[in-house]
Amino acid sequence: MFVDFFYQIKEAGIPVSPTSFLTLHRALRQGLVINLSDFYTASRSILVKSERYFDLFDQVFAHHFKGAEMPDQDGFALDEMARNLLDTWLQDPKALADALGIDESELKKMTPEELIEYFKERLKDQTERHDGGSKWIGTGGTSPVGHSGRHPGGMRVGGMSRNRSAIKVAMERRYRDYSLDGPLTQAMVGEAIKRLRHLVPSGPKDRVNVESTIYQTMKNAGEIEIVFDRSLKDRLKVILAIDNGGWSMDPYVAVVQTLFDYAKAQFKDIKTFFFHNTVYDSLWKDASRYKEPKRVEEFAAFDPDTRLILVGDASMAPYELMARDGSIHIEERTSKSSIERLKFLSETFKYCVWLNPAPVSMWNYTPTISAIGRIFPMFELSIDGLEKAVAQLMMKN
Amino acid sequence: MTTTASDVNSFTGAKRYVLDEELARIVNISMALEMPLLLKGEPGTGKTMLAHAIAEVLKMPLIILNVKSSMKLVEALYQYDTLTRLNDSRFGDSMRDVSNIENYIKMGKIGQAFMADFRTVLLIDEIDKADTDFQDDMLDVLDQMEFDIIEIDKTIRARHRPVFIITSNAKKDLSDPFLGRCNFHHIAFPDPKMMRQIIKVHFPEMDNELTENAIAAFYKLRELDAVEKRPATRELINWIRALSADPDFKPSRLAKGDVPFMGILFKKSQDFSRAVNAVSRRRLF
Repeated sequence: MFVDFFYQIKEAGIPVSPTSFLTLHRALRQGLVINLSDFYTASRSILVKSERYFDLFDQVFAHHFKGAEMPDQDGFALDEMARNLLDTWLQDPKALADALGIDESELKKMTPEELIEYFKERLKDQTERHDGGSKWIGTGGTSPVGHSGRHPGGMRVGGMSRNRSAIKVAMERRYRDYSLDGPLTQAMVGEAIKRLRHLVPSGPKDRVNVESTIYQTMKNAGEIEIVFDRSLKDRLKVILAIDNGGWSMDPYVAVVQTLFDYAKAQFKDIKTFFFHNTVYDSLWKDASRYKEPKRVEEFAAFDPDTRLILVGDASMAPYELMARDGSIHIEERTSKSSIERLKFLSETFKYCVWLNPAPVSMWNYTPTISAIGRIFPMFELSIDGLEKAVAQLMMKN
Repeated sequence: MTTTASDVNSFTGAKRYVLDEELARIVNISMALEMPLLLKGEPGTGKTMLAHAIAEVLKMPLIILNVKSSMKLVEALYQYDTLTRLNDSRFGDSMRDVSNIENYIKMGKIGQAFMADFRTVLLIDEIDKADTDFQDDMLDVLDQMEFDIIEIDKTIRARHRPVFIITSNAKKDLSDPFLGRCNFHHIAFPDPKMMRQIIKVHFPEMDNELTENAIAAFYKLRELDAVEKRPATRELINWIRALSADPDFKPSRLAKGDVPFMGILFKKSQDFSRAVNAVSRRRLF
């Protein structure tokens, strides 16, 4: 059951495991899921383990169940009510008879099908919305019809079920903000900075932990055992090089700068440089790329442990990257091709990454992205990409 | 987060917690499947309060394990009090039998929950604070519902499977195998309507104008981009307390973009200057 649904979720990119799918079936078998809203909450809480996939899940859910199980919202709501009606009928026929305004003995003669038919007729009689009261079917009344479900032995929900279908809930896409897809925006800075905070070095274990030394020594019945902790190493140095030329990069320059500005305190030193499209003979300290050039050769003087982070879309005409005099700026006459310069940088700094705001799916269509991707480990400028980039920068080798 | 229910007959016999329907369903399913429930969400969304509410409603004892960053799982299971034993062996002035190590084993929070005579609610609060070893070690305990006390070679089995509620502030992602054993729910930040209820509980006497204006300003400030730590329920409550304590303060000033005590809402210096900047340039109001 629901195997298609499971694979649709999986194909959408939500990490789901077969074990959790079996757990969902356990829930189904135990009768914990009796309608589609139950199924929605149960499947989401069992299958999806992070709020960032909630939005994706909502979309898949709406897609999967919208056409298949319920052609129209009203039909679904009616079935839902009918089911409730039958439940009530089984539990307390008198209350139902009163609510529907027929004699109890007459009600007893009806088959379930007849009852539902009668109920539907009654619903059609009702020409206006009716809340409260005791006779008509509506919300919030004493009529048993439309009552919220109960969970014997479990927790109860306050109030009546609002009869919102799970599809409607899913289509609201309440979790859109939690999905961390797409390039970084100012709103994601808070989340992104948490990823960046992992950019801290770990030193050797050379500091005595007095407390655990005492504990371990006691445990060894007095035989001394010294426990060492990691000491804090000096903080990292970072060079940030941003492509700030061209409108395609405009939205990201500010975000990246805010991000690193916030994280500034955690680094020992952070230097920001600018370039246009790709690196030729120099990078610039000023955003206008005019006043303070720094020649690429001079970068060799920096500490080789410095983390080099380049941000750019890496999209250009191939000759701009490959040719010896490739720059599109007439005043920028170069002696070496850009690709050689980039190789030089990646050889100088063993920890380097390239962050690209273009979505990964587009990378294969741009030859220069693939070419630069072979020189620098390239990651998407997104929360996920940043996380991976930080892992790359912290890799031990 | 404390809230009251308008409906006396509802679940909130707990009186302090409004449970939304979706969350109730998830709690029930997790209990029926006997799976731990992992709750994530911004601070101030009532993750911890839920465990209190469940314990209260189901009349189970609540055991809270507050996870700390340096914590090892064994501390949550049991502790072998070597220092007391050494002391006893040297001075021998206690009634304990030094040769019996069991006398020096103290149960940790998980151990207590396992040994309890009733089913308990076990809240493991802020599990993300500890390193991944903690979670990995816990996998076995969750799977087997038992653990070994190595010192006395004894296995402690859970007499009653506790109701596990685990909270995380999402600073780190939990490991996949751990997630696989939990049901998951994310509690969203309360909407303004809910927030009004919350404020009402904390300040029953508060005049409406101040509450309305403060909440409106609060949600506007929360929308501010590029903020590292957005103000949460706790900050709002403190802020309202400060506003009401200031005799010169007029609620109508808030709507005009005159926002005092911004330092209560924004606690990171960059966030603070950014917020002050945005307000003074009247971008927000």
